[in-house]
Amino acid sequence: MSLFKWINNVSNNERPRKAWFSFVCLIFIVLIIIPSIFVVLKMFTEWDIVSGVLGDPEKTSLIWGALWNSFSIAAIVTVVDIVIGIPMAWILVRKQFRGKKYLDTLMDMPLVFPTGALGFSVVLFWGAPNGIDIPGLGMVLSPYIMLILLHIIFTYPYMVRSLSAILEQIEPNYETAAMTLSASRFTAVRTITLPLFRAGLVTGTILCFARSLSETGGTYAALLLMNANGIFFTGPTFIKHMKEIQDPTAMGSMILISVLMIVFALILLVVVKLLIMRFKIPIKKVWPHLGRKLSRGAVPKLKDAFSIAFLAIIVLLPTFYIFTYLTQPMADIDFVALMSAIGTSFAVAGVAVVFGIVFGIPIALYIARKRDTKLGKILDNLVNVPLIIPTTALGFSLGLFWSTIYAGGSLNLLMVVLGHMAFTFPLVVRNISGAVEEVDQSYEEVAMTLGAKPFQTFTKVLMPIIQSSVIAGAILAFTRSLGETGATLAIDRSANTVPVYIINLLDAGKHSEAAFCSIILIAICFVFMLVLRLVVSRGGRHT
Amino acid sequence: MVAIPEIILNDLHKNFGGCLAADGLSLKVSKGEYICVLGPTGSGKTTCLRMICGLTKPDKGRVLFDGVDITDAPISERKATMLSQAYSLFPPKTVYENVMFSPAIKEWDEHEARQLVKSMIMMVHMENKAESYPAELSGGQQQRTALARALASSSDILLLDEPLRALDARLRLELRQELKSLVKEMGLTAIHVTHDQDEAIEMADRIAVIRKGKIVQIGTPMEVFRNPVTPFVANFVGRSNVFVGKVRSVCDEFSEIELEKGAIIKARKTDIPVGTDVAVAIKIGSTRIPAIPQPTAEKPEPEVPQGFFKGIVERILYEGATITIEVEAEGIGLVSSKLPNRKYDDYKNGYEVMVTWRPERASVFEIPPEGIEEELRLD
Repeated sequence: MSLFKWINNVSNNERPRKAWFSFVCLIFIVLIIIPSIFVVLKMFTEWDIVSGVLGDPEKTSLIWGALWNSFSIAAIVTVVDIVIGIPMAWILVRKQFRGKKYLDTLMDMPLVFPTGALGFSVVLFWGAPNGIDIPGLGMVLSPYIMLILLHIIFTYPYMVRSLSAILEQIEPNYETAAMTLSASRFTAVRTITLPLFRAGLVTGTILCFARSLSETGGTYAALLLMNANGIFFTGPTFIKHMKEIQDPTAMGSMILISVLMIVFALILLVVVKLLIMRFKIPIKKVWPHLGRKLSRGAVPKLKDAFSIAFLAIIVLLPTFYIFTYLTQPMADIDFVALMSAIGTSFAVAGVAVVFGIVFGIPIALYIARKRDTKLGKILDNLVNVPLIIPTTALGFSLGLFWSTIYAGGSLNLLMVVLGHMAFTFPLVVRNISGAVEEVDQSYEEVAMTLGAKPFQTFTKVLMPIIQSSVIAGAILAFTRSLGETGATLAIDRSANTVPVYIINLLDAGKHSEAAFCSIILIAICFVFMLVLRLVVSRGGRHT
Repeated sequence: MVAIPEIILNDLHKNFGGCLAADGLSLKVSKGEYICVLGPTGSGKTTCLRMICGLTKPDKGRVLFDGVDITDAPISERKATMLSQAYSLFPPKTVYENVMFSPAIKEWDEHEARQLVKSMIMMVHMENKAESYPAELSGGQQQRTALARALASSSDILLLDEPLRALDARLRLELRQELKSLVKEMGLTAIHVTHDQDEAIEMADRIAVIRKGKIVQIGTPMEVFRNPVTPFVANFVGRSNVFVGKVRSVCDEFSEIELEKGAIIKARKTDIPVGTDVAVAIKIGSTRIPAIPQPTAEKPEPEVPQGFFKGIVERILYEGATITIEVEAEGIGLVSSKLPNRKYDDYKNGYEVMVTWRPERASVFEIPPEGIEEELRLD
């Protein structure tokens, strides 16, 4: 309590406030930004080994192949997400029906699953992997198609969430007005609402793209089960593969592919922003007859039915297919190892989230309140960097950075924590700054003129209003950390987090044990999220 | 001994990216006074309030409370509370908790705080709604809660930023006196910003007319209304007819102005030298439009008397309690006149009438360098 008072009194003066903010910025730059892109610097200092790789056509073709797979899969997946995501967001925001709450919860379920388990489950559903007697659809799909099906599942919720967040802010009044001016619903939505949608599309596209590019655990699990491992690579699985083989040139390959992924991802960030913001949706022309036909009769219903069917067949069924293992005899589970893995995962995620909240809030506040200043713009863009960089490349870069500074090697777990801090940080900041932007600044201003000091203004006025968004951001970051495989592996192959544990089980051919461990973890996560949701909805009753 | 004014704003300047929100703004407010800062949108009214409570830092100039320079003091220490037009009641808190906000953060004695908060809530007649949340209140109730919250903060100064703007027209009128008497009862100094001249005239002890970041005129409502110092004030505080001409002569009782359109009119006496270009402003409520004298047996062709001008009724606006009649007068131009509505049946479009006013009600101003059009612009 006295610490609280002390902070409160100190916050009344401008100088300590500035000092604290500078400190936060410093931490952000030194702990997150620099390590994330350190590998680019490393490429120049270690140019010899990199140029060695460049001179080897066999290796470069592998690298280009992996990059092509990663980026083309991400692109296809994002387009599918947009096309299917828009009607789904519509259903979630504009329609009222019984069971909407459950649909809403189901939407987020793939986020709770450890990605390794998800990859496992998806291959189980669509294909018939060797050595497993669970019956699936038994289709023979190429790894490329299978990965697209898999990546749609965990990117889809991000797209729908981003789109529905924006849609909620767009008042239906515009559409209603257009319709009273005798536009058909289709035309009204296309010409009035869609153009307002761009911001959501940008966020959704970036999130989906980044998520797909980063994905390691599920991709690896899927490839493993399809016996395509070591033949078919994406960027992240290539890094994982290189980490495992004892090859003197591996380092050069890893540096090269990491740098390429980072550079392409950053270019993409800029291109996507420009493309979506500049791209002219054909809103001037109207086709009244077509619009009317599309707005009446069976078409809208078919569209909704298709969206729901897509969600059920492409997303939900494959996701939950792993639960068919419950019909099998219980596997022999090493509970001690599993629990220690769960403990490690929760500890890593917990530290990362707490760090994100403590240091993310000042940055989020600054971005939200001072967007027009130069520093605000810089921070706004910088925060996106760890989000768009594929986590495997980020983890690899981070590992290089810290091992350059500290060569002891006994602090591996700390490095894993630092890695998780880096890629969860943007999620927390984005959520909070989005929420703060919604809050009228006059609340805080009036509070200060009523005698509240800046810190009190934050804790007593702003925080109660935005707390549900803070918690939502924390949950998002927490689950993201729990599910992360690539970054963890790239930093420390021996780190004992749950996703790594499950991947190792799959690697060892212990499918049944991996499935049961996944189910246990999913159950724990689900209960955890349910409790959090309950707490949040109780606390945020009146907001 | 002269009492120290409670608030002194001394030559404040504030530039928002090329837009001058305060340009040498100076103002003195005495203890317990109710001042209305009246100005059009974008005149720097809100900036003026924000500089007093510290939410905006002036680029130049000082702010003094009770003779002490507080320009750099933290907002929370100033005891100047803002009441914004959106009220900004904290949404997750009840009416009671909102009013309790200040006592709670200042950690006053709990028992006394509770007493104080209760009495404030009683004072604004919100005791039945004490446990309601802001979203459940009507506009007037929100306004009263915000007022109670401000009153419970032990502030000496109340800054009201268009406090009645968001209310229904009828309620707005009713709350004017209620608001003022509450503020007076608490002995607070109030600075009330508004663009509504009726509100300012009715509520203020003194009105400060602000334009382009400067105080143009300060005085009691009657002074500002009757003796405006610029054509802008004349037209903004109660609409005026404005005519342009040259000073022809000045005597002890009145002056004579030769208008551009030809007529020679009488106005109050002025120090402006003969031959100068001037603008004459007459409040629309000060013009009269009597009927033209009818021809009689003695005077078959009656003359228009001195100081009267012939004109044709162009438009009649029915406004409820009043009517406004626009007359195209010979040698003058369009003249508006506000009359009680019982006169409505006396006029029809196209009627020939006369226009007149008392010379002392016509103010004479030198034409400012930017020209009269620019001077009268409301934005």
